Amino acid sequence: MRFQRVKKWVLERYDSEALRGLIKKKYVPSHKYEIFYYMGGLALFLFFIQFLTGFALALYYVPHPEQANKYVVDIVTKLNFGWLFRSLHHWGAQILIGVLFFHCFSTLLLKSYRKPRELLWITGTILLGISIFFGLSGYLLVWDERAFAAVRVATGGAGSIPIIGQYLKAFLRGGNDVTGETLARFYAFHVSILPFLTMILISLHVLLVQYHGLSVPLFLEGEKLRKVPFFPNVLYKDFMIWLFVLGVLVTISVLAPPEIGKKADPYAPTPEGIKPEWYFYFLFQTLKFFPGEIFGLSGETIAVSLITLAAIFFLAIPFFDRKSSRGEKSRTFTWVGVCYTVYFLVMTFLGFVT
Amino acid sequence: MKLRWPSVTRREFLNTLFTGWFIAFFAACIYPLLKFIYPNLEKEPDFVILNAKDFLEIPNNSTKPFPWGGKLGLIFKKDDGTIHALKGVCTHMECNIMYKPEERKFYCPCHKGYFDQDGKNISGPPPRPLEFFEVRIENEKLIVSKKGVKVEIPKG
Repeated sequence: MRFQRVKKWVLERYDSEALRGLIKKKYVPSHKYEIFYYMGGLALFLFFIQFLTGFALALYYVPHPEQANKYVVDIVTKLNFGWLFRSLHHWGAQILIGVLFFHCFSTLLLKSYRKPRELLWITGTILLGISIFFGLSGYLLVWDERAFAAVRVATGGAGSIPIIGQYLKAFLRGGNDVTGETLARFYAFHVSILPFLTMILISLHVLLVQYHGLSVPLFLEGEKLRKVPFFPNVLYKDFMIWLFVLGVLVTISVLAPPEIGKKADPYAPTPEGIKPEWYFYFLFQTLKFFPGEIFGLSGETIAVSLITLAAIFFLAIPFFDRKSSRGEKSRTFTWVGVCYTVYFLVMTFLGFVT
Repeated sequence: MKLRWPSVTRREFLNTLFTGWFIAFFAACIYPLLKFIYPNLEKEPDFVILNAKDFLEIPNNSTKPFPWGGKLGLIFKKDDGTIHALKGVCTHMECNIMYKPEERKFYCPCHKGYFDQDGKNISGPPPRPLEFFEVRIENEKLIVSKKGVKVEIPKG
């Protein structure tokens, strides 16, 4: 048998006992809240789909302001299955970001970030930020009016951050305004810089999960929990979820291909009823609530500064929440978590209905 | 005096040497890298010169776009027939604005900001009025310039 020979070839060279030991020893605690354990794996699966569909699209796309929009149209109208790959990439991104938010907020509310998993929280939160930037840079590549306006607003918002804002804005835009330079830059972010960072952070994140094992909620700590072997029990459940989500993804992609707007024109008025992608709604709504001026200061600067502070605090939560780290109940941070989650949900909901 | 033992070991010496070498190398790389990735910024123009006949004929109470550098500029003819020029960019988040003739207001769809006919911010989040330019007609040319900028076209 050829397979036996290949197996022998590998075994003669590599110590498979160590690996087998790892596989056998990997157990996962089982309890009422174990569904949250599957979100990370699902995100990993969706990242994989994004990479795969992205590779395909990158073979044809050209980031030139005169042609980019036409190329996207060509991809979905002229190429074999181009419509499917673009649709999968678009909807895959939507679902992925949704899953990441869910993963993030469940970690926050169950306080799985507590000692010793601070670095898991930090790598995860940065990955969420990167994914949002992936979304923003990706939808500029379509180079239609909506993307153009959205990127103007988003990079303009970055410009309102005190001190570094103006530099950051010019860096992101590749100039004073959103132009072809911005398209080239966002293309570079989207297909080379961000994927590279993502690969590193995902590897680190997954390695850390292997190292620390899965976190058990504080209120279940000390209780006797059943342990389930990862191979194959948990992995099969992972597969079930992945297959289900893949089914949903393909169905949506086939039934609801994303639109491609009119080619971006820097001299055209912004189209009516413009909205960013849903995962920007909480920022979009926050900006809308601030008046133009508060005590002589620009409302925009205040809003963006507050958002920046909230984001930094969010990232540093494991270091502020000392009680959870000691294994004690931490009421304050339960409320902090609830506040962040509710704010995000309510603002996103308002973004949908207004 | 000859030391019986060297004060640093060979390993310490090499570690220090290589650490210093790495730091010096990366420090020397960072400056050009930062200079490279930060773009050259083009300034907004002080003035643009347009063909007057393309813009003077527009109906009253309407606008027509023109390129102001890479940004949107608007020539605006009021009800009384006077010609004005303004930057068509919202002062809030830099979205392009549009003119709503029936309401006689400028409107930014991004965050629902309104400006009156003189560019004053009257509702919504915009913090400042729109930027109006000076307009002058000379030899069939429409000269749009920033306030306070003197433009002289060479004759001929």
